[in-house]
Amino acid sequence: MSNQNEMNKELTEELIVIKGLSKSFPIGKKKTLNVLNSIDAVIHRGEKIAVIGPSGSGKSTFLRCLNCMEDPTGGSIIFNGEDLADPKVDINKHREHIGMVFQQFNLFNNKTVLQNIMLAPIYLKTKKAGGLFAKRAVKKQIREEAKEKAMQLLRRIGLEDKANAYPSTLSGGQKQRIAIIRALAMEPEVMLFDEPTSALDPEMVGEVLDLIRQLANEGMTMVIVTHEMGFAREVADRVLFMDGGIIAEDAPPHELFSNPKLPRTQEFLSKVL
Amino acid sequence: MNFLDEWSAFWRLFYTNGGYKRVFSEGLKNTLTIAILGLVIGILIGTLIAAIKVMPKYKTLPKILNGVCNVYVGFFRGTPIVVQLLLAYYVLFPLMGVSIGSLRTCILIFGLNSAAYVSEIMRAGIQSVDSGQMEAGRALGLGFTPTMMKIVVPQAIKNILPTLGNEFIALIKDTSVVSFVAAVDLYKVFTEIGNANYEYLAPYLMMALIYIVLIMMVTLLFKLLEKRLHRDDRA
Ligand SMILES: Nc1ncnc2c1ncn2[C@@H]1O[C@H](COP(=O)(O)OP(=O)(O)O)[C@@H](O)[C@H]1O
Ligand SMILES: [Mg+2]
Repeated sequence: MSNQNEMNKELTEELIVIKGLSKSFPIGKKKTLNVLNSIDAVIHRGEKIAVIGPSGSGKSTFLRCLNCMEDPTGGSIIFNGEDLADPKVDINKHREHIGMVFQQFNLFNNKTVLQNIMLAPIYLKTKKAGGLFAKRAVKKQIREEAKEKAMQLLRRIGLEDKANAYPSTLSGGQKQRIAIIRALAMEPEVMLFDEPTSALDPEMVGEVLDLIRQLANEGMTMVIVTHEMGFAREVADRVLFMDGGIIAEDAPPHELFSNPKLPRTQEFLSKVL
Repeated sequence: MNFLDEWSAFWRLFYTNGGYKRVFSEGLKNTLTIAILGLVIGILIGTLIAAIKVMPKYKTLPKILNGVCNVYVGFFRGTPIVVQLLLAYYVLFPLMGVSIGSLRTCILIFGLNSAAYVSEIMRAGIQSVDSGQMEAGRALGLGFTPTMMKIVVPQAIKNILPTLGNEFIALIKDTSVVSFVAAVDLYKVFTEIGNANYEYLAPYLMMALIYIVLIMMVTLLFKLLEKRLHRDDRA
């Protein structure tokens, strides 16, 4: 990615095209709360997008609609030629290619670190090879490959000695880094982060951001909801400022942070910077 | 003195004449068979019902299944187990032309009955597991069912183990009604021992003792199991 031209070329391939995305939650009888109001956005392959905005502006809902953790109530999300917002689409198939990292880590508490990382790859690959009816040798090979991959990822973050530990024995920073490589083990095309460092003690924020920065440098497409403005400015190709369920401003970081166009962007930035 | 005489008469029947053999080979064995297999069936079907109940409900199929489950749970919790046994053994199975014998009828009915209670216990257990666990599984591309089976239910079972233990104990004690449908359990065997000379005090005391020991053992077993399952909680 050292070549600037190559980079620019890469950022023109549309990976996710969002049109008119809306989401409302029912509240009480017959009433609904409109959280996303017809959002249009394009996420290009290799692009790093930071989503910022005041609390309650719909950042998490936007992110969670991208892999249908929340079902959109309107609009379309085109990914790999299919509309994820269409209830008939097999969403599980697409989620394999969309990694998600949560604020609360959400490691599987009943599984060891290694099992956490291997579970989905083994299950899904075995299923594709025939599930229960897959040949023994095939299953064994899938398991061995998954384990090798998982250990390789663990070595990458220097936690190979924690392979057989349970999540309850780990620090927040370790949990979140493992959650990230658990998503990576699926070899996703895009990673979604929802405030990945907000639940961490301050001294652990750095290690998690370092890992995300590494992924960014390797060219991983990512959408990251964050309150770490410094990180957004440094890593993002584009920053989306959300307010009131819409993308109010969409600009490269140097523009958005130094020269915000809208008064409400200015107001928000003056509070957080 | 009177009691001692009675006790020695009982002891003759129970021990010297080998009555205890039947207590163990039939009474205790059937009691445990019904209770254990009942609990196993109960956990399997109960977990299925609980999973249906916590499914997202905007599609038609989960709604219909949910309705079926409500009727099921309503029936089995709303009627005494004796009524269910009698209905199955003397009415339903004869009408359907099936005869599976009284022991199997008991196992089946105890299983189905237990499933209704376990489903409520299990639902509470599932709801006690942080929703992030399900979300993480789904986000990785796993379906609802595999995430439920591999991630959520194992954690739910850990949380509800004491309550499941209570259910098992209740099941063991409830087996004392199976003689209504001609099955032989502890109660039946001891009653027959008592029938031999129309003295029931000693046999029934002995029966109570066996129940107490049995239930103490089950309690201990579940305590050990709980300890084991909670190993991965600690640092
Ligand atoms: N499951 C839900 N049910 C009802 N309202 C919700 C739900 N999830 C989010 N909301 C509401 O949607 C709005 C946006 O929430 P969210 O996307 O979490 O905002 P942000 O992540 O920007 O803080 C909030 O007002 C929140 O209360
Ligand atoms: Mg949020």
